Amino acid sequence: MSRTLALLVPAILVITIWWSAVIIFDIPHFILPTPDRVAVVLFDRAGFISVHATTTALEIVCGLLLGSLLGFTVACLIGDSKRLQSITMPALIISQALPVFAIAPILMLWLGYGFASKLAMTTLIVFFPVTASTLSGFRALPPSWETTFQTLRPRKSRLFFYVRLPLALPHTLAGVRVAASVAPIGAVVGEWVGSSSGLGYLMLHANGRGQTDLMFAALVVLCGEALMIWHITNRISHRFDKKYTYAV
Amino acid sequence: MTKVFEAIPPNDPLLSIDNLSLGFEGQPPLATITWMIQRGQKVALLGKSGSGKSTLLDTIVRGSAAIRCRTHRVAYLSQQPALLPWLSVLDNILLGFKLRRQKIVHEHLEHARQLLIDVELSYLENQKAHQLSGGQRSRVALARALIEDAELVLLDEPFAALDRSTKIQMTKLCGQLLVDKTVILVTHDPRDAQDWFNESMVITPGGLKGPFDLSNFKNDDALIQALDGDL
Repeated sequence: MSRTLALLVPAILVITIWWSAVIIFDIPHFILPTPDRVAVVLFDRAGFISVHATTTALEIVCGLLLGSLLGFTVACLIGDSKRLQSITMPALIISQALPVFAIAPILMLWLGYGFASKLAMTTLIVFFPVTASTLSGFRALPPSWETTFQTLRPRKSRLFFYVRLPLALPHTLAGVRVAASVAPIGAVVGEWVGSSSGLGYLMLHANGRGQTDLMFAALVVLCGEALMIWHITNRISHRFDKKYTYAV
Repeated sequence: MTKVFEAIPPNDPLLSIDNLSLGFEGQPPLATITWMIQRGQKVALLGKSGSGKSTLLDTIVRGSAAIRCRTHRVAYLSQQPALLPWLSVLDNILLGFKLRRQKIVHEHLEHARQLLIDVELSYLENQKAHQLSGGQRSRVALARALIEDAELVLLDEPFAALDRSTKIQMTKLCGQLLVDKTVILVTHDPRDAQDWFNESMVITPGGLKGPFDLSNFKNDDALIQALDGDL
């Protein structure tokens, strides 16, 4: 009940402010349509919008999975070596510092206007938070734990897979949760730069034809998708969090 | 860093430390330590916070050119029992075998179960570690140290986070179960050691001082003097 309220109250608040602003400032529909007009478009063109929503959702989910997997793998490969970390860190930071808008045209050129370029952009945006948080997970093990495990005379690979890796998982999952909230940026930017399907494409298409209500409908669906993906990621990650979080 | 293990006559010290500079890289040393520990000896290592007590134990485990340890069977218990939360109590006790890729045979299981009886936790064998209280975790960590059959047991204020009554129980239990081991107990409170230790050493900026009879430190003034290196 309280969760439903937590979702409903902000939604009602935003709609109320939005609607009041249109009425009070007498804003024309082609600048800011009223929520009811957007709702009508959502209902009337549900089939059409859902095709584009599916494309974007696929790009986000696949990018999130691939980026998380890559980020986690890279962190595992360099996690045990400070030297490797110092060599790879500049490249990792540059990959995050470059705005995705700046490299989108290059990725389009290399990977084409289809699914692959959007997947690459989403993957790129997801990759860094997962890598960085997994690395911080490896570093977070208290020194007394390290000393204790040392006295058990472990094999290095066993210590990594049985102890260090699972203990870093809660940190990785925190990174995945952050990544889930920014993953839609990669997909939508990719669609803006060049595509023939997706909510980003639909927004540009509607904008060009002055269909502001359709543009807002696409935006509302995108918000819903982003929230849902974040919520599912959050639920899954909390299950693992409970299992692998250690008390010190 | 090298650690030297040698087969030696039983009268030789189990652990000898020769001019070990305790401290952190790039900083002046906290103290320079020269010390010998005989087999079966039980010593409380006292010192002010930050004097290097825990650093010394950590260095013994990791090894140093200045340390000659005649056993590789060393156990370390700290305030943090380092139990893997997703494993059961029994699996945590047997963790060392898994990490060494050593086959767990029936005898190991029986030994682990017997140790659980010894630490009075046999009813929690299949419980996950994250479901245990602080005192129960300390007992499991003790059982894990015991199954490794360590000759040298390093205790770094292992019961400091426990309430007084659990601390007394754990001290008694250690006194019984570690009777034939060589034990170094790091503490800043001599009361933690008085029930089962007679001897103590004190780390001061001037080096390691002692041995002192622990009963001397029933008087707070004597303890303060010792910690300041004035005794």
